Amino acid sequence: MSRAGGITNAVNVGIAVQADWENREFISNISLNVRRLFEFLLQFEATTKSKLAALNEKLDILERRLEVLEVQVSTATTNPSVFT
Amino acid sequence: MQQWRPENPAMTSDEVSMERSKGFVMALQELKNLRPQLYSAAEYCENSYLHNEQKQMVLDNLKDYAVQALVNAVDHLGTVAYKLTDLFEQQTLDVSTVGLKISCLNQKILTCQKYTDKEGIRQQRMFTNTARYHKHYILPNSVSRRMQSSPQLQTDVNLIHVQAKPRPHSSGSPASKTLSWHLASETNSASDRAPHAVPSTGNVKAPKITAEVFHLLNAEDTAAPMPLSTHLQSASSNPTSSLGLHSFGIRDPVEPSKPLITFRSFDNPGRLQIYRPPVRSKSLLSAFFAKNKSLKPRKAPVL
Repeated sequence: MSRAGGITNAVNVGIAVQADWENREFISNISLNVRRLFEFLLQFEATTKSKLAALNEKLDILERRLEVLEVQVSTATTNPSVFT
Repeated sequence: MQQWRPENPAMTSDEVSMERSKGFVMALQELKNLRPQLYSAAEYCENSYLHNEQKQMVLDNLKDYAVQALVNAVDHLGTVAYKLTDLFEQQTLDVSTVGLKISCLNQKILTCQKYTDKEGIRQQRMFTNTARYHKHYILPNSVSRRMQSSPQLQTDVNLIHVQAKPRPHSSGSPASKTLSWHLASETNSASDRAPHAVPSTGNVKAPKITAEVFHLLNAEDTAAPMPLSTHLQSASSNPTSSLGLHSFGIRDPVEPSKPLITFRSFDNPGRLQIYRPPVRSKSLLSAFFAKNKSLKPRKAPVL
Protein backbone atom coordinates (compact mmCIF):
# COMPACT_ATOMS: atom_id res chain seq x y z
CA MET A 1 0.00 0.00 0.00
CA SER A 2 2.69 2.31 0.97
CA ARG A 3 4.62 1.38 -2.16
CA ALA A 4 1.59 2.08 -4.32
CA GLY A 5 1.20 5.36 -2.54
CA GLY A 6 4.82 6.15 -3.18
CA ILE A 7 4.52 5.33 -6.83
CA THR A 8 1.44 7.50 -7.07
CA ASN A 9 3.28 10.33 -5.44
CA ALA A 10 6.15 9.95 -7.85
CA VAL A 11 3.77 9.99 -10.79
CA ASN A 12 2.03 13.04 -9.45
CA VAL A 13 5.35 14.79 -8.96
CA GLY A 14 6.31 13.90 -12.49
CA ILE A 15 3.08 15.23 -13.86
CA ALA A 16 3.39 18.37 -11.83
CA VAL A 17 6.95 18.90 -13.01
CA GLN A 18 5.86 18.40 -16.61
CA ALA A 19 3.00 20.85 -16.19
CA ASP A 20 5.36 23.30 -14.60
CA TRP A 21 7.72 22.99 -17.50
CA GLU A 22 4.87 23.62 -19.93
CA ASN A 23 3.76 26.64 -18.02
CA ARG A 24 7.26 28.01 -17.98
CA GLU A 25 7.60 27.43 -21.70
CA PHE A 26 4.34 29.22 -22.28
CA ILE A 27 5.43 32.12 -20.13
CA SER A 28 8.76 32.35 -21.93
CA ASN A 29 7.00 32.41 -25.29
CA ILE A 30 4.65 35.16 -24.12
CA SER A 31 7.48 37.24 -22.70
CA LEU A 32 9.55 36.76 -25.88
CA ASN A 33 6.72 38.04 -28.02
CA VAL A 34 6.15 40.95 -25.68
CA ARG A 35 9.83 41.85 -25.99
CA ARG A 36 9.56 41.67 -29.78
CA LEU A 37 6.58 43.98 -29.60
CA PHE A 38 8.57 46.36 -27.45
CA GLU A 39 11.49 46.35 -29.89
CA PHE A 40 9.12 47.06 -32.76
CA LEU A 41 7.71 49.98 -30.82
CA LEU A 42 11.19 51.39 -30.17
CA GLN A 43 12.18 51.07 -33.83
CA PHE A 44 8.91 52.60 -34.94
CA GLU A 45 9.41 55.53 -32.60
CA ALA A 46 12.96 56.21 -33.86
CA THR A 47 11.87 56.05 -37.50
CA THR A 48 8.88 58.30 -36.93
CA LYS A 49 11.00 60.81 -35.05
CA SER A 50 13.55 61.06 -37.87
CA LYS A 51 10.81 61.40 -40.48
CA LEU A 52 9.06 64.08 -38.51
CA ALA A 53 12.36 65.94 -38.02
CA ALA A 54 13.01 65.88 -41.79
CA LEU A 55 9.48 67.08 -42.45
CA ASN A 56 9.90 69.84 -39.90
CA GLU A 57 13.12 70.96 -41.57
CA LYS A 58 11.43 71.05 -44.96
CA LEU A 59 8.61 73.08 -43.53
CA ASP A 60 11.06 75.56 -42.01
CA ILE A 61 12.79 76.01 -45.36
CA LEU A 62 9.47 76.48 -47.11
CA GLU A 63 8.39 78.98 -44.51
CA ARG A 64 11.53 81.07 -45.04
CA ARG A 65 11.14 80.99 -48.81
CA LEU A 66 7.55 82.03 -48.42
CA GLU A 67 8.55 84.94 -46.25
CA VAL A 68 11.05 86.09 -48.86
CA LEU A 69 8.41 85.85 -51.56
CA GLU A 70 5.99 87.74 -49.41
CA VAL A 71 8.47 90.58 -48.95
CA GLN A 72 9.23 90.68 -52.68
CA VAL A 73 5.56 90.77 -53.60
CA SER A 74 4.83 93.47 -51.06
CA THR A 75 7.73 95.51 -52.45
CA ALA A 76 6.39 95.11 -55.94
CA THR A 77 2.86 96.07 -54.95
CA THR A 78 3.98 99.16 -53.02
CA ASN A 79 5.99 100.39 -56.04
CA PRO A 80 3.70 100.00 -59.03
CA SER A 81 5.59 102.74 -60.92
CA VAL A 82 8.36 100.24 -61.60
CA PHE A 83 6.14 98.33 -63.94
CA THR A 84 4.76 101.36 -65.80
CA MET B 1 -11.41 46.43 -34.94
CA GLN B 2 -12.22 49.34 -37.12
CA GLN B 3 -14.17 48.51 -40.24
CA TRP B 4 -12.71 49.69 -43.53
CA ARG B 5 -14.91 52.25 -45.23
CA PRO B 6 -14.59 52.84 -48.95
CA GLU B 7 -13.81 56.48 -49.60
CA ASN B 8 -16.33 58.57 -51.47
CA PRO B 9 -14.74 59.70 -54.76
CA ALA B 10 -16.61 62.99 -54.52
CA MET B 11 -14.71 63.92 -51.35
CA THR B 12 -12.15 66.68 -51.55
CA SER B 13 -8.55 66.34 -50.50
CA ASP B 14 -9.25 68.15 -47.25
CA GLU B 15 -12.05 65.76 -46.39
CA VAL B 16 -9.85 62.78 -47.20
CA SER B 17 -7.10 64.06 -44.95
CA MET B 18 -9.68 64.70 -42.23
CA GLU B 19 -10.95 61.15 -42.51
CA ARG B 20 -7.43 59.78 -42.27
CA SER B 21 -6.72 61.87 -39.23
CA LYS B 22 -9.92 60.71 -37.59
CA GLY B 23 -9.08 57.06 -38.30
CA PHE B 24 -5.65 57.47 -36.75
CA VAL B 25 -7.04 59.15 -33.66
CA MET B 26 -9.65 56.44 -33.19
CA ALA B 27 -7.07 53.65 -33.55
CA LEU B 28 -4.85 55.37 -31.03
CA GLN B 29 -7.78 55.74 -28.64
CA GLU B 30 -8.62 52.05 -28.91
CA LEU B 31 -4.99 51.14 -28.17
CA LYS B 32 -5.08 53.34 -25.13
CA ASN B 33 -8.32 51.67 -23.96
CA LEU B 34 -6.66 48.26 -24.29
CA ARG B 35 -4.48 48.88 -21.23
CA PRO B 36 -7.24 49.11 -18.57
CA GLN B 37 -8.94 46.11 -20.17
CA LEU B 38 -5.78 44.02 -19.74
CA TYR B 39 -5.32 45.21 -16.17
CA SER B 40 -8.91 44.30 -15.27
CA ALA B 41 -8.57 40.88 -16.92
CA ALA B 42 -5.38 40.20 -14.99
CA GLU B 43 -7.05 41.05 -11.64
CA TYR B 44 -10.04 38.84 -12.44
CA CYS B 45 -7.80 35.88 -13.33
CA GLU B 46 -5.78 36.31 -10.14
CA ASN B 47 -8.87 36.40 -7.91
CA SER B 48 -10.48 33.44 -9.67
CA TYR B 49 -7.31 31.34 -9.38
CA LEU B 50 -7.07 32.08 -5.65
CA HIS B 51 -10.71 31.56 -4.78
CA ASN B 52 -11.74 28.87 -7.25
CA GLU B 53 -11.14 25.21 -6.67
CA GLN B 54 -10.63 24.26 -10.30
CA LYS B 55 -7.31 25.91 -10.66
CA GLN B 56 -6.25 24.00 -13.76
CA MET B 57 -9.27 25.23 -15.67
CA VAL B 58 -8.61 28.78 -14.57
CA LEU B 59 -5.01 28.40 -15.64
CA ASP B 60 -5.98 27.12 -19.08
CA ASN B 61 -8.46 29.96 -19.54
CA LEU B 62 -5.82 32.40 -18.43
CA LYS B 63 -3.38 31.06 -21.01
CA ASP B 64 -5.89 31.37 -23.79
CA TYR B 65 -6.86 34.87 -22.73
CA ALA B 66 -3.20 35.96 -22.56
CA VAL B 67 -2.59 34.74 -26.11
CA GLN B 68 -5.66 36.51 -27.43
CA ALA B 69 -4.82 39.69 -25.58
CA LEU B 70 -1.31 39.68 -27.01
CA VAL B 71 -2.63 39.14 -30.53
CA ASN B 72 -5.17 41.92 -30.01
CA ALA B 73 -2.50 44.30 -28.78
CA VAL B 74 -0.27 43.51 -31.77
CA ASP B 75 -3.19 44.10 -34.10
CA HIS B 76 -3.98 47.45 -32.54
CA LEU B 77 -0.38 48.54 -32.67
CA GLY B 78 -0.13 47.55 -36.34
CA THR B 79 -3.26 49.54 -37.15
CA VAL B 80 -1.96 52.60 -35.36
CA ALA B 81 1.43 52.33 -37.06
CA TYR B 82 -0.14 51.93 -40.51
CA LYS B 83 -2.47 54.90 -40.06
CA LEU B 84 0.33 57.06 -38.74
CA THR B 85 2.58 56.14 -41.70
CA ASP B 86 -0.25 56.86 -44.12
CA LEU B 87 -0.90 60.22 -42.52
CA PHE B 88 2.80 61.06 -42.61
CA GLU B 89 3.05 60.21 -46.31
CA GLN B 90 0.05 62.41 -47.03
CA GLN B 91 1.64 65.28 -45.16
CA THR B 92 4.94 64.76 -47.01
CA LEU B 93 3.11 64.87 -50.30
CA ASP B 94 1.35 68.07 -49.31
CA VAL B 95 4.67 69.63 -48.29
CA SER B 96 6.22 68.66 -51.63
CA THR B 97 3.28 70.21 -53.46
CA VAL B 98 3.65 73.41 -51.47
CA GLY B 99 7.36 73.42 -52.22
CA LEU B 100 6.67 73.15 -55.94
CA LYS B 101 4.15 75.97 -55.79
CA ILE B 102 6.61 78.17 -53.93
CA SER B 103 9.29 77.43 -56.54
CA CYS B 104 6.78 78.38 -59.21
CA LEU B 105 6.06 81.69 -57.50
CA ASN B 106 9.77 82.31 -57.09
CA GLN B 107 10.34 81.80 -60.79
CA LYS B 108 7.50 84.15 -61.64
CA ILE B 109 8.91 86.85 -59.43
CA LEU B 110 12.39 86.39 -60.90
CA THR B 111 10.92 86.71 -64.38
CA CYS B 112 9.17 89.94 -63.40
CA GLN B 113 12.37 91.31 -61.93
CA LYS B 114 14.34 90.45 -65.05
CA TYR B 115 11.73 92.12 -67.18
CA THR B 116 11.81 95.29 -65.11
CA ASP B 117 15.60 95.34 -65.23
CA LYS B 118 15.56 94.92 -68.99
CA GLU B 119 13.00 97.64 -69.41
CA GLY B 120 14.98 99.95 -67.18
CA ILE B 121 18.16 99.36 -69.13
CA ARG B 122 16.34 99.86 -72.40
CA GLN B 123 14.92 103.16 -71.26
CA GLN B 124 18.31 104.24 -70.04
CA ARG B 125 19.85 103.40 -73.40
CA MET B 126 17.26 105.44 -75.20
CA PHE B 127 18.08 108.56 -73.28
CA THR B 128 21.86 108.37 -73.16
CA ASN B 129 24.35 107.90 -75.95
CA THR B 130 27.06 105.77 -74.46
CA ALA B 131 30.36 105.65 -76.21
CA ARG B 132 31.22 102.25 -77.58
CA TYR B 133 34.85 101.52 -78.21
CA HIS B 134 36.60 99.22 -80.55
CA LYS B 135 40.15 97.97 -80.62
CA HIS B 136 42.93 100.40 -81.26
CA TYR B 137 46.57 99.69 -81.39
CA ILE B 138 48.28 102.32 -79.37
CA LEU B 139 51.88 103.37 -79.58
CA PRO B 140 53.81 104.55 -76.55
CA ASN B 141 54.09 108.27 -76.05
CA SER B 142 57.85 108.38 -76.51
CA VAL B 143 57.66 107.23 -80.10
CA SER B 144 54.97 109.69 -80.95
CA ARG B 145 56.95 112.54 -79.51
CA ARG B 146 59.99 111.59 -81.52
CA MET B 147 57.93 111.39 -84.60
CA GLN B 148 56.39 114.71 -83.98
CA SER B 149 59.69 116.39 -83.21
CA SER B 150 61.22 115.19 -86.44
CA PRO B 151 61.49 118.03 -89.00
CA GLN B 152 60.79 115.74 -91.94
CA LEU B 153 57.63 114.51 -90.43
CA GLN B 154 54.70 114.35 -92.75
CA THR B 155 51.26 115.02 -91.59
CA ASP B 156 49.21 112.78 -93.75
CA VAL B 157 48.34 109.15 -93.55
CA ASN B 158 51.91 108.08 -93.82
CA LEU B 159 52.49 108.75 -90.16
CA ILE B 160 51.31 106.91 -87.15
CA HIS B 161 50.37 108.98 -84.18
CA VAL B 162 50.36 107.91 -80.67
CA GLN B 163 47.20 108.63 -78.86
CA ALA B 164 45.76 106.90 -75.92
CA LYS B 165 42.15 107.90 -76.43
CA PRO B 166 40.03 105.48 -78.30
CA ARG B 167 37.76 106.85 -80.90
CA PRO B 168 34.13 106.20 -80.22
CA HIS B 169 31.88 105.28 -83.05
CA SER B 170 28.14 105.50 -83.56
CA SER B 171 25.94 103.42 -81.40
CA GLY B 172 24.29 101.83 -84.37
CA SER B 173 27.44 100.15 -85.61
CA PRO B 174 28.60 96.90 -84.05
CA ALA B 175 31.25 97.26 -81.41
CA SER B 176 33.46 94.35 -82.39
CA LYS B 177 35.19 94.54 -85.75
CA THR B 178 38.18 92.75 -87.06
CA LEU B 179 41.52 94.43 -87.33
CA SER B 180 41.45 94.25 -91.12
CA TRP B 181 38.18 96.10 -91.15
CA HIS B 182 39.68 98.90 -89.09
CA LEU B 183 42.68 99.03 -91.31
CA ALA B 184 40.53 99.18 -94.40
CA SER B 185 38.24 101.79 -92.96
CA GLU B 186 41.10 103.95 -91.83
CA THR B 187 42.84 103.59 -95.16
CA ASN B 188 39.71 104.56 -97.03
CA SER B 189 39.05 107.49 -94.79
CA ALA B 190 42.62 108.68 -95.06
CA SER B 191 42.61 108.42 -98.85
CA ASP B 192 39.75 110.88 -99.04
CA ARG B 193 41.45 113.41 -96.84
CA ALA B 194 44.04 115.97 -98.05
CA PRO B 195 47.39 116.07 -96.29
CA HIS B 196 47.29 118.16 -93.21
CA ALA B 197 49.64 119.32 -90.49
CA VAL B 198 50.99 117.15 -87.81
CA PRO B 199 48.54 116.99 -84.95
CA SER B 200 49.64 117.58 -81.39
CA THR B 201 49.84 114.91 -78.83
CA GLY B 202 46.50 115.90 -77.45
CA ASN B 203 44.60 115.09 -80.63
CA VAL B 204 42.74 111.88 -80.95
CA LYS B 205 43.83 109.93 -83.99
CA ALA B 206 43.93 106.25 -84.70
CA PRO B 207 47.16 104.71 -85.92
CA LYS B 208 47.35 104.55 -89.71
CA ILE B 209 48.28 100.99 -90.27
CA THR B 210 47.73 99.10 -93.45
CA ALA B 211 47.71 95.43 -94.08
CA GLU B 212 50.87 95.77 -96.09
CA VAL B 213 52.81 97.07 -93.18
CA PHE B 214 51.61 94.24 -91.04
CA HIS B 215 52.72 91.82 -93.66
CA LEU B 216 56.04 93.58 -93.69
CA LEU B 217 56.21 93.14 -89.98
CA ASN B 218 55.31 89.49 -90.25
CA ALA B 219 57.98 88.93 -92.81
CA GLU B 220 60.43 90.64 -90.59
CA ASP B 221 59.44 88.56 -87.63
CA THR B 222 59.49 85.17 -89.30
CA ALA B 223 62.46 85.34 -91.61
CA ALA B 224 64.88 88.12 -90.86
CA PRO B 225 64.96 91.83 -90.52
CA MET B 226 66.22 92.09 -94.07
CA PRO B 227 62.94 92.10 -95.96
CA LEU B 228 61.85 95.32 -94.36
CA SER B 229 65.09 97.07 -95.09
CA THR B 230 65.02 95.53 -98.53
CA HIS B 231 61.57 96.94 -99.04
CA LEU B 232 62.65 100.30 -97.82
CA GLN B 233 65.75 100.29 -99.96
CA SER B 234 63.85 99.11 -102.93
CA ALA B 235 61.34 101.82 -102.32
CA SER B 236 64.08 104.36 -102.04
CA SER B 237 65.77 103.10 -105.17
CA ASN B 238 62.54 102.78 -107.04
CA PRO B 239 60.42 105.84 -106.59
CA THR B 240 57.69 104.47 -108.76
CA SER B 241 57.00 101.69 -106.33
CA SER B 242 53.40 101.31 -105.52
CA LEU B 243 54.06 100.25 -102.01
CA GLY B 244 52.18 102.40 -99.53
CA LEU B 245 54.49 102.75 -96.64
CA HIS B 246 53.01 103.76 -93.40
CA SER B 247 55.90 103.92 -91.13
CA PHE B 248 55.79 103.27 -87.43
CA GLY B 249 59.23 104.50 -87.01
CA ILE B 250 60.46 100.98 -87.58
CA ARG B 251 64.14 100.68 -88.08
CA ASP B 252 66.26 98.06 -89.71
CA PRO B 253 67.85 96.12 -86.90
CA VAL B 254 70.84 95.19 -89.05
CA GLU B 255 71.71 98.79 -89.79
CA PRO B 256 71.26 100.89 -86.72
CA SER B 257 71.75 104.16 -88.55
CA LYS B 258 69.50 104.42 -91.49
CA PRO B 259 69.86 106.97 -94.25
CA LEU B 260 67.03 109.03 -95.53
CA ILE B 261 64.83 107.18 -97.94
CA THR B 262 62.34 108.27 -100.44
CA PHE B 263 59.17 106.39 -101.06
CA ARG B 264 56.06 106.80 -102.97
CA SER B 265 52.94 107.28 -100.98
CA PHE B 266 50.08 104.95 -101.64
CA ASP B 267 47.63 107.78 -101.59
CA ASN B 268 49.66 110.15 -103.78
CA PRO B 269 51.47 108.01 -106.35
CA GLY B 270 52.91 110.95 -108.25
CA ARG B 271 54.62 112.46 -105.32
CA LEU B 272 57.90 111.59 -103.70
CA GLN B 273 58.31 112.10 -99.99
CA ILE B 274 61.38 112.07 -97.90
CA TYR B 275 61.13 110.47 -94.57
CA ARG B 276 63.66 109.82 -91.86
CA PRO B 277 62.64 106.71 -89.96
CA PRO B 278 62.85 107.21 -86.24
CA VAL B 279 64.45 104.84 -83.81
CA ARG B 280 62.55 101.69 -83.22
CA SER B 281 61.76 100.65 -79.74
CA LYS B 282 61.46 97.13 -78.49
CA SER B 283 58.23 97.60 -76.68
CA LEU B 284 56.56 98.90 -79.83
CA LEU B 285 57.70 95.94 -81.90
CA SER B 286 56.83 93.44 -79.25
CA ALA B 287 53.38 94.89 -78.98
CA PHE B 288 52.86 94.70 -82.70
CA PHE B 289 54.34 91.27 -83.14
CA ALA B 290 52.31 89.89 -80.34
CA LYS B 291 49.13 91.16 -81.92
CA ASN B 292 50.08 90.36 -85.48
CA LYS B 293 50.73 86.70 -84.85
CA SER B 294 47.08 86.06 -85.43
CA LEU B 295 47.26 87.79 -88.79
CA LYS B 296 50.23 85.83 -90.08
CA PRO B 297 48.64 82.98 -92.00
CA ARG B 298 46.30 85.24 -93.89
CA LYS B 299 48.16 86.61 -96.90
CA ALA B 300 51.52 86.68 -98.56
CA PRO B 301 53.57 89.86 -98.15
CA VAL B 302 52.97 92.48 -100.62
CA LEU B 303 55.99 93.72 -102.46
